[in-house]
Amino acid sequence: MSDQEIIEQLKQGSEAAFRKLVEGHQKLVVNTCFGLVHNREDAEDIAQDVFIEVYRSIQQFRADSKLSTWLYRISVNRSLNHIRDNKKHKWFQSFEKDVEARNRQILQVESSPTDHPGFEMENKQRAAILQEAINSLPENQKVAFSLNKYEDLSYQEISEVMEMSVSSVESLLFRAKKNLQKKLYKCYKKKCM
Amino acid sequence: MKCKAVHSKLIFFLERELPEPEMKAVQEHLAACPECALFAEEMKKTLSILETEKVSEVNPYFYTRVKAKLDRQSEIQPSGIRSSVLARVLQPVAFSIILILGIYGGVKMGATGAKTASTFTAEQEMVPYLNDMDVEPLETFLME
Ligand SMILES: [Zn+2]
Repeated sequence: MSDQEIIEQLKQGSEAAFRKLVEGHQKLVVNTCFGLVHNREDAEDIAQDVFIEVYRSIQQFRADSKLSTWLYRISVNRSLNHIRDNKKHKWFQSFEKDVEARNRQILQVESSPTDHPGFEMENKQRAAILQEAINSLPENQKVAFSLNKYEDLSYQEISEVMEMSVSSVESLLFRAKKNLQKKLYKCYKKKCM
Repeated sequence: MKCKAVHSKLIFFLERELPEPEMKAVQEHLAACPECALFAEEMKKTLSILETEKVSEVNPYFYTRVKAKLDRQSEIQPSGIRSSVLARVLQPVAFSIILILGIYGGVKMGATGAKTASTFTAEQEMVPYLNDMDVEPLETFLME
């Protein structure tokens, strides 16, 4: 079944079509949400709401637009809302504080013996540093960067999702990388890990 | 190329986004400068985490959960609409009652305040505030 057919049937209220839509695009949606919220459970939770929104607003979906673009857009908006809601509680925390807190968490959790305990731990710490660095980016840069990295979207595709020109996307990604580099260098100098 | 220049280009070097001559210049610097090479190695490892974080396997219960959530919300919704309609009617009614009581109370207090003004100066000072609070919402209410 093509996306077009799925949408047609979904507009007529077919549950089978909804199932097809969810199963066919769940990875895309979960991945996109994860790229922004960096927590598997939260990402799945938001992804569920994304599909519920799709189900409820399918009548407004225009046949000439791409289903994936629409899914990306809803996923991004919902993830950003989730981040904004969470930020209210910790708006005063700095990047370094976040990394410290995350490292402490990792050290506490790290108790199960694995084949490469040191390696696992190092990777978790790296992941924490990277996540905090991405989290600290301005919203637009964060969105462009995570669509590019987690979903491998091209500049053209990102420009469609974010409704801006390709050159704006280019400049967002350039600034995002510059900022990440700065954060990672700061972390490296301070021996964050 | 100096260390500082390398630091500012490193991420683009690792992403292979630099023009060829600059790629070469950074490469040469890294080969000669252990300090920068170490940082480059660190950054490379950290950025490579992005690849490992992508969702590879899908949660087999995902659809079931979406469906359950959808059904749960559809059940709640009718009463949700009713209560919001109720709220839309009840809120202005409650607001009006509070407003009337407030104005009545304000007038009363103003009257007693005036009578006992010589003995309770503190209360007298309070009265204008109380009156203000009552009058202001009424004005904004009428303007809407
Ligand atoms: Zn150097």
